[in-house]
Amino acid sequence: MRRGLPQHRRQARVFAHAPRRDDHVINAARRSVRWMYRRHYLHAYAFISPVIILFAIFRVWPSVQTLYFSFFKVELVRQRLTFLGLGNFLDMFQDGVFRQALQNTLVYALVIVPASAALALVLAVLFVEEFRLKELFKAVYFSPTVTSTTAAAVVWWWMYNPQYGLINVFLRLLHLPPQPWLLSSHQALSAIIIFSVWKTLGYNMVIYLAGLQAIPAMFYEAAILDGASPLARFTSVTVPLLAPTTIFIAIYNMIFALQVFDQVFVLTGGGPANSTNVVVLELYRQAFQRYRFGYASAEATLLFVIILSVTVVQHVYSRRFEVAY
Amino acid sequence: MRGRAMLVAVLAVMLAGSASFVGAQAKTTITLWYPAGDVAAGPVSPLHDAALFGPFEAASNVHVEMVGLDYDTMEQKIFAAAAARNIADIIFIDHSWASGFLKEGMLEQAAPAMAKRWLAAVSPDVAALSDFGGGTMYGYPQMGYDVYALTWNKQQFQEAGLDPNRAPQTWDELRAACRKLARRDPSGTLTRVGFAVRHVGEPHGIVDKFAWALWGAGGDLINDPNALRGGQVMFNNAAGRSALQLVLTMLNDDKCTSLNFPDPRAAFLKGIASMQISEAVSIRARQPKEAPNMPWQSGWGMAVPPVPKAGDQPVTLLGGWLFSVPKGAKNKEAAWKAIEWLSTEANDYAIAAKFGMTPRYKSNWTKEPFKSDSYDQALLKIAKYGRRYPMNLGLDGVMQALGAGIQKAWHGEASVDQALAEAAAAGNKAIADAAK
Repeated sequence: MRRGLPQHRRQARVFAHAPRRDDHVINAARRSVRWMYRRHYLHAYAFISPVIILFAIFRVWPSVQTLYFSFFKVELVRQRLTFLGLGNFLDMFQDGVFRQALQNTLVYALVIVPASAALALVLAVLFVEEFRLKELFKAVYFSPTVTSTTAAAVVWWWMYNPQYGLINVFLRLLHLPPQPWLLSSHQALSAIIIFSVWKTLGYNMVIYLAGLQAIPAMFYEAAILDGASPLARFTSVTVPLLAPTTIFIAIYNMIFALQVFDQVFVLTGGGPANSTNVVVLELYRQAFQRYRFGYASAEATLLFVIILSVTVVQHVYSRRFEVAY
Repeated sequence: MRGRAMLVAVLAVMLAGSASFVGAQAKTTITLWYPAGDVAAGPVSPLHDAALFGPFEAASNVHVEMVGLDYDTMEQKIFAAAAARNIADIIFIDHSWASGFLKEGMLEQAAPAMAKRWLAAVSPDVAALSDFGGGTMYGYPQMGYDVYALTWNKQQFQEAGLDPNRAPQTWDELRAACRKLARRDPSGTLTRVGFAVRHVGEPHGIVDKFAWALWGAGGDLINDPNALRGGQVMFNNAAGRSALQLVLTMLNDDKCTSLNFPDPRAAFLKGIASMQISEAVSIRARQPKEAPNMPWQSGWGMAVPPVPKAGDQPVTLLGGWLFSVPKGAKNKEAAWKAIEWLSTEANDYAIAAKFGMTPRYKSNWTKEPFKSDSYDQALLKIAKYGRRYPMNLGLDGVMQALGAGIQKAWHGEASVDQALAEAAAAGNKAIADAAK
């Protein structure tokens, strides 16, 4: 044994030329990188990395931070966090205003999703037929989708005006009594739902049109040979074969319906008497009017859990309706 | 000779260099955020005048850069900017936002000596707006009263057989006038309300236009108007009940007002409401454009809101906008200097006179044009009965709760007692939460 070297350095020299477990790992990693390079995986990741980085910064990180904040009293200006455990969540369940906002949100989502989907399906079936100015009408029905929600809501706010609004003008022409619409706590939520159905109808219609065009004609031909009426063809062929499309529309619309904000903010501000208050509006108020960021984060977290649960249930349930043709 | 020419050239270069150095010496730039649009206490905001701070800039080497923000989201933007440590040096804020900002420790306190001088020199209502308790100030109110008044349409009064130059003084008179002024179509639907009420939109706005009745009846939002923390709501009582009941009676028994009408100011200016109570300045600012045939004095009048019974003390809401300095401001000293320049007696007079606003100093009220201006004098009379909101840190939650309670009672979703009890519970919780 040579003198002058410490024990661990001597051991390192002894094992320097022996194959080590680390070498295997390094070699495997090198082989993996070379393979990825050859298969252009590295290029692909390089191309999508800006999106991934931006998504992580502006979506993932704020979401994680929201979850974290939900367990604290957050004073942003003072940069002070006070741990509350589940305090914000317990407060939330005792808060009557939040409970009403949650109830309104669920009612809104449960009405708008089937209503919009059903109307869109009817329209899509009509648009499968050939008639004059078909494309123009399609564009008309689709136009609300590409219109800013805020701008459209301002127009509808005027239409709902009890004195001068277009809707009450039509009611008067039909000798029906004018309605208060957004000014009534009994009608305001319905008025917002009508607006939202109008806004989402076009998008759903286009998705259904795509679904309808994918159904092979042979199913309809067979049904006709069997003597099925148009209604029977619709209920026994169209509706079942459109199940995957319907599931997609249900999930997609439900996710957005549970996050409703813009139209409520513009049309009613949550009133009258909280009758149109929804979860996102309520958490906005808690955060930016009462500066309770921790509490607002807890509300956002609960909404996230609800949306995730509904989506998972819908997704699992949708497997029962999978079709192949 | 050549040497002298050289010397002259060198001197010329030095002179030019030093002159350009002095000329290029950077001015300190401070920013001032104000709400864009005509929302703040006057038909024309002086903050829309880019030359407003011209004399101050010339004398101080400080440049004031004015930035207009969207009013609806201004409060949120200020807060977000404060949290991000990137806020303006001067913020022009609605008085009702101050409690929320104080809760977060965002506002810088004005120098006590200056505050003392100011409070002694300005009119009592301006002093009430400035004083956050014990002579503490967190900003200087702008010139121009933002006071709530009963406004009435004189032509409609005359047509209904009422004295066009006398506003209803008591609640009974208000109801009687309301009944006479209301108009219906052949089907019985109201086409014009005698008195318009605010019952939709942000709960704050509903409380703003209800406070006169609550205060007039002896109630309040919170028991101690100067305490920042703690306290109890003061509307779940006989005063709160009678104030809510007044409008319910006009709705259901007198049938002279309606929940189907738009914002009271809009309804008044469109001629479909004969009376309403809101910010006088808003009617003053909007009337020339929206109701040109209803000019001030001959077309419309304003007075302090009516009281429950003759002999009671009228009360009305006195709001205002403050020039404040946030704690996160980068140039606090220059910011306070700019605000103090705006708030000198001479500038108070000059700016108020130029922009048609009311002055803040007692001494300026004795000068023309304010001394003889009928509108200014009418405002001054009303402002004597002005009361500001409590400074409690839970004020926002209290207003949200009371606003929702008012809506529930008027929309028939809850009895008056039930609505007030719910609002009181939510309001007290907001006070307690804010005090934690």
